[in-house]
Amino acid sequence: MIQTLEIAETRDTPYVLLDAKKNTFQISGNSMPEDAARFFDPIFDWIEEYVKTPNESTHLVCNLDYFNSSSAKMLYQLFIELENIKEIGLKVKISWHFESEDKLIEEKGLEYQSILNIPFEMIPRKN
Amino acid sequence: MDIKTTFWFFDRIKEDNLCLLYNGNFSDDITAKFIELSEYNITNINSLTKMKKKVSFLMAECFQNIVRHGEALVNKVEVAQNEGFFLTKNWQDIYYITSGNLIENKKIKNVKSQLETVNKLDKEELKVLYRQVLENQTFSEKGGAGLGLIEMARKSGQKLQYLFQDYNKKFSLFYNQILLKSDQETVEASDSELELSESISFHKKMIDESILIIYKGDFSQDSIFPVLQIIEENLQKERKDSVSKKKVFHILVELLQNISHHCLKEDNKKEGIFMIGEYDEYFVINTGNLIRNEEIDNLKKQIEFLNSLNGKELKDYYLSKLRERNLPTNKGAGIGLVDIARRLISPINYSINKIDDKKSFLSINVIA
Repeated sequence: MIQTLEIAETRDTPYVLLDAKKNTFQISGNSMPEDAARFFDPIFDWIEEYVKTPNESTHLVCNLDYFNSSSAKMLYQLFIELENIKEIGLKVKISWHFESEDKLIEEKGLEYQSILNIPFEMIPRKN
Repeated sequence: MDIKTTFWFFDRIKEDNLCLLYNGNFSDDITAKFIELSEYNITNINSLTKMKKKVSFLMAECFQNIVRHGEALVNKVEVAQNEGFFLTKNWQDIYYITSGNLIENKKIKNVKSQLETVNKLDKEELKVLYRQVLENQTFSEKGGAGLGLIEMARKSGQKLQYLFQDYNKKFSLFYNQILLKSDQETVEASDSELELSESISFHKKMIDESILIIYKGDFSQDSIFPVLQIIEENLQKERKDSVSKKKVFHILVELLQNISHHCLKEDNKKEGIFMIGEYDEYFVINTGNLIRNEEIDNLKKQIEFLNSLNGKELKDYYLSKLRERNLPTNKGAGIGLVDIARRLISPINYSINKIDDKKSFLSINVIA
């Protein structure tokens, strides 16, 4: 089985946990690196490997406080990779957590929801 | 504050490695960020590393002065708590730390006589006075302020520059400037007086134009991060609704990262300037940086194209850029400006000041 990828949170990059064994997939915190491509590289490597033999059901939890526009683009590419899982007939879902007052992160989630072809759940939380 | 403000400041501080001007509230968190920022700057300049501890110490001392006086004001008049002016700049091997805060007119006499006393003494005499005050606590009635001044004079090895300026019947603005030089050489009094009067003129312009913060220096993320945190802290305090808070933060991050990605690098430094003005209903953000002349046409086209789109068109354009298959490079994703344009209440304003045949100064001004 594919090895777990866990990346610790820094002040400008998010916490990432991609654990196929425990079936836990999570990204949370801030994502505003200057060089988003470099940060997301290992994540793409992992996902590309994972989609070859994905679990029966994949549920990615996004819990981001803030992300910059180049991270927005990387996230979209990440979600597109997940669409491949759906195409081979397995379950895939994204949960988008946001603070209920946070219009920016809510709007970003709704935009992804509108252009993606996989279940995309909006989950507001009270502060 | 309008688009011209950027070049007005840039032209006066362009020789500085770092220049940070702040006109707002002071808290321990904000104080810590200022120190972090200057420490990062010093670490990157070889000739200054020895000064690192001293600069941090003197900055903390300066902040304490602002906070101490600020607290005294709270009960007596409707003045926002701990409000003050702070400037830190590095030019060649000199570090300037300037603070400005309100002081009750009846206290001026005492503070002035302390400053005069301190400035008359040499190194040894300051040491003796320091011990005396430490033991007897007689120098100042206001806890510790006297010790602070003595320490500023001792650590900097320079005379303290100061000025009291009328504010109203009850209060004056008290400006205090400390200089640090890497080789401990004494700075000409006339030069440092000039410097102080310039700082005061900057403060006045910031008050007149409601400018919260101005930063000129390195725009790589490590340098800029403490500044972003200072601003975030301020936005949190001032604004209840997280909507505009996040929006302003987002616009700022995108604009600053744009500078970092696209500015003309001189001596491998990513340099620029930005400032934030805060008004009742909106924020104004200005940025400025050098660009190569041959890039101007393309940039103009891009901005004018964005300005020609309405809200719906901007959203559609953003989504189409988001879905483009090309991945962001280290030059960014090319959608930052599109996403900014969506959130503004007026078009992206820009102007170009030609510097020479090779480069120009680009100013951007946005209102959100």
